Amino acid sequence: MKRTFGQALSLYGGLLLIVLLIGLPFWWVITGSIKLPREIIQRVPTMFPESFTLQHFEKLLQASDFPVYLINSMIVASFSTAFTVLLALPAAYAFFRMEFPGRNALYRTILLAYAFPGVVVLIPLYGLFAKVGLIDSPVALVLVNVAFALPFSIWMMRSFLATVPREIEEAAVVDGAPPTTILVRILMPLIAPGIASVAIFAFISSWTEYLFASVLIVSDARRTIPVGFAGIIGQYQIDWGLLLAGATAAIIPVVALFALVGRWFVSGLTDGAVK
Amino acid sequence: MKNTTLAFLFVSPALLFLLAILGWPLVQAVILSFQDVGVIGSQGQYVGLANYSAILGGAGFWRALGRSIVWVLGNAVVQTALALATALILNQKFPGVRIARTWVILTWIVPTVVVVIIWRWLLSSSGGMINPLLIQAGIIERPVGFFATRESAMTTLILINSWRWFPFTALMMLAGLTRIPGDLYEAARIDGAGTFQRFKRITWPLLQPTLLVLGVVGTLLSFNVFDVIWLLTAGGPSGATQTLPVLIYDTAFKGYRLSEAATISVLTSILLMGFAFLATRAMTAQEAAR
Amino acid sequence: MGTTRLLTIAGFAATLLTGTAYAAPVDLTLWHMEQPPHRVQRMKELLDEFNAAHPDIQVKQEPQSWGEVYAKAPAAFAAGNGPDLLFTIPDFTTVLKGIDAVVPVDDLVKDLDAKHGFVPATLAPYKYDDHVWAVPAYNMAISLWYRNSVLKAAGVEVPKTWSEWLAAAEKLSTDGKYGIGLPANKQLYTDQTVYSFMVNSGAADIYKDDGSIDFDKPATVNAYDFYSKLAKLSPADNGSWTWGEAEACFASNTCGMILQFGVINTYDTQAEGDAADLGVAPVPHADDQGESATISYSNAIMLTTKDEAKQAAAKVFLAWLMEPANYGRFLTMEPGLFLPVTGDGAKAESFWSDKTVTKYKGQVETMISNSQHGKLFGFTTGKVFPSIGAISAQNVIAETLQHIVVDGQSAADAVKGGQARMSEIAKK
Repeated sequence: MKRTFGQALSLYGGLLLIVLLIGLPFWWVITGSIKLPREIIQRVPTMFPESFTLQHFEKLLQASDFPVYLINSMIVASFSTAFTVLLALPAAYAFFRMEFPGRNALYRTILLAYAFPGVVVLIPLYGLFAKVGLIDSPVALVLVNVAFALPFSIWMMRSFLATVPREIEEAAVVDGAPPTTILVRILMPLIAPGIASVAIFAFISSWTEYLFASVLIVSDARRTIPVGFAGIIGQYQIDWGLLLAGATAAIIPVVALFALVGRWFVSGLTDGAVK
Repeated sequence: MKNTTLAFLFVSPALLFLLAILGWPLVQAVILSFQDVGVIGSQGQYVGLANYSAILGGAGFWRALGRSIVWVLGNAVVQTALALATALILNQKFPGVRIARTWVILTWIVPTVVVVIIWRWLLSSSGGMINPLLIQAGIIERPVGFFATRESAMTTLILINSWRWFPFTALMMLAGLTRIPGDLYEAARIDGAGTFQRFKRITWPLLQPTLLVLGVVGTLLSFNVFDVIWLLTAGGPSGATQTLPVLIYDTAFKGYRLSEAATISVLTSILLMGFAFLATRAMTAQEAAR
Repeated sequence: MGTTRLLTIAGFAATLLTGTAYAAPVDLTLWHMEQPPHRVQRMKELLDEFNAAHPDIQVKQEPQSWGEVYAKAPAAFAAGNGPDLLFTIPDFTTVLKGIDAVVPVDDLVKDLDAKHGFVPATLAPYKYDDHVWAVPAYNMAISLWYRNSVLKAAGVEVPKTWSEWLAAAEKLSTDGKYGIGLPANKQLYTDQTVYSFMVNSGAADIYKDDGSIDFDKPATVNAYDFYSKLAKLSPADNGSWTWGEAEACFASNTCGMILQFGVINTYDTQAEGDAADLGVAPVPHADDQGESATISYSNAIMLTTKDEAKQAAAKVFLAWLMEPANYGRFLTMEPGLFLPVTGDGAKAESFWSDKTVTKYKGQVETMISNSQHGKLFGFTTGKVFPSIGAISAQNVIAETLQHIVVDGQSAADAVKGGQARMSEIAKK
């Protein structure tokens, strides 16, 4: 399969554009975080840093609880991920394979969850959580994050299940295996990459959530990264150096994590399961 | 029947969960919309449909709806174009394709608040990189304000939001593309179809189911985008980017008219549900047809 | 450290001796919106000191952000888990007073006033409906900032009137530089800068005594007209400016002049840091006015608990905070930005001995003197109407400006529209 010159040009040209589009802003932010304050706000900015300092990171670590925010975010995102997968898998299987009245209507209703502006549920939810003593608790964030990740996760999971050839399941049914066994013993290993994709989707959704975390969490020690980061923006003054350091610090951990598991997200999506 | 019971056992945890976390608050919003509560926490009287007639009769709701439609369409066009191009490129074989497929998602794993600060800084005239870059490229003569006029503010917001979301959409499309059997392309090649012909005859039609779901979910998700707009323009300049979610927030927390905000929310939800209902029905119909 | 531990032990012993009645100290939760790390740190030092000295009271801070607290605080009070002490600005108090979350502090303010002498302008916006609703904590007032060297090089004097101001801004606008940096965002900062024009053209009052809106008048139109003229000499991205962007513009020497509460910290750490070159002056006044005024924000602390033991404990804490020995350190959590609200505070050794304040003594003195002529929209007539909360939160003043600079309306039409918008809000 050889490409013509034109095809190669558009492929690599397009690739270069994508790399620049995605990479340049990050380059500017990360290099900005090690520039001296004066170089950061300079009228004609520099592409490559001309100064080097760690003062912004020192300030960030000294005076804010970034490591604490990081741990909180990890805990909330991990639990949100686990619950999302646990709830989505059986539901997706039932919607995909099992017969029950109202199946299609219910499946459609689930996607309707995205029809409500998040702002709408904020206040009633605050009241609800206050009644059961979940304000300022990571549990509240887990509940909200799962609710918002669940519908799409069910949809993703169902389309992964659809890639499993029917014969494999039918063989198990003939052997007299109950649905639970089929799901756990046969389907789960087959769609493992797909489950990984759903898990990563749930993790990132929770990792980036800001609105609910900002209102439901009260004390500094329980804040997540987005809220903690918003906290250093400041009302009357902006310290760009500190913000760029904060942005870098918020990017690095998830990038590191993604370096470990990121390929599963894509391979789960593209390979899905056995073809 | 035993299997039905089991099916309900499988589905109900997820459903009950969604009902408690999303359904119950929604009922509260409906109740609020028939009252006249001002500041959160104050008491209200039952006022019947007064809020509904006031909002449907006023211009604010309709204008915000118009902006929301512009916002959704703008995002759909920009994201689909960027994402499709990206997906088609990532579907090719070239050295480093696995790395590219993994790291293309970078913009999506960064918290929105951070995305907002990144762009606020890059677009600013003190230290921002974009203005000098455009000046060097000869596109503009002196620094411009990206949020200074109505059109440019909306455009800039759409571009920033698309920047964050297009890689995710691209990977979803890529997933759809990889499910298209390779032998179809081979057959078309043997028939003598060119690149564009193959795209038109195979890729585009077979990608339709994926595009449809992405279209529905993407529309709902981008309709409800709040934080990017709020943190960058707060609905300005002069109301140009005040979409419905921003209007809801404005009314509830800045105008201290909680019941009115609930009413707008209910109306918005009805609109979106109507859209989602029709679209998902088309979706299942299409699946059944295959 | 030694004394702290000793005091803790003493307190503990006292607790044991007096038995169950004093078994648990009174816990107070304090919400403030001074979220930048170094301010939280300073607050923590002060609280640790107070808690050590008062074993029967434990105050803990929970920093919030201004952006969210308008939604969060009412929700928290409605759900019964609000704070006991809450930092505030005048319009925020009217909102919380509306849901009965605020407790008057008449006696405490009277005592503190007798002891330390409040600056009347800082107390006024909290004194209405026969009570005092918060204890003033620090003041902020907008001044005009510039560099002496830049003005000298352009051959202009520090402007006192609007025509001098416009001429100076035009002269300072040279290639790639902007004579002045004024925001045009729909945001609080723009409310503040526009209003600092209004107080200087004789349009300080936006309410009549009967509560009707008094916004549409020639003096207001004049202020808007002049503002939009000057705003043309500002960077094009001023439509998305908040305080930080203006400061950065000034610090990088891109903007010749800006209107700001304080730039000292930024100037000192991110720009030249040459105290002799940094200039500060009152906001210029319209040619037909006699002297300069400004906008000032009196930040205060509200008592927001119904529990009497907590109220008593909170008063002990507030009295302690206003003691000159502690108060200066509280103010200098952001040196060169927060100004004293008491006569004692303005003289406090703990304030003036701060490193930054010492270095920029002249500038801080000018800021304090400017703040004496400070006013705040909606709080100028001694009568306060609840709708100011919504007018302020929805940034109607800034929105009106956007109708001129974004939509191209004439100042007269925009102000007329602003009057209509405010009246509509006031009606609800």
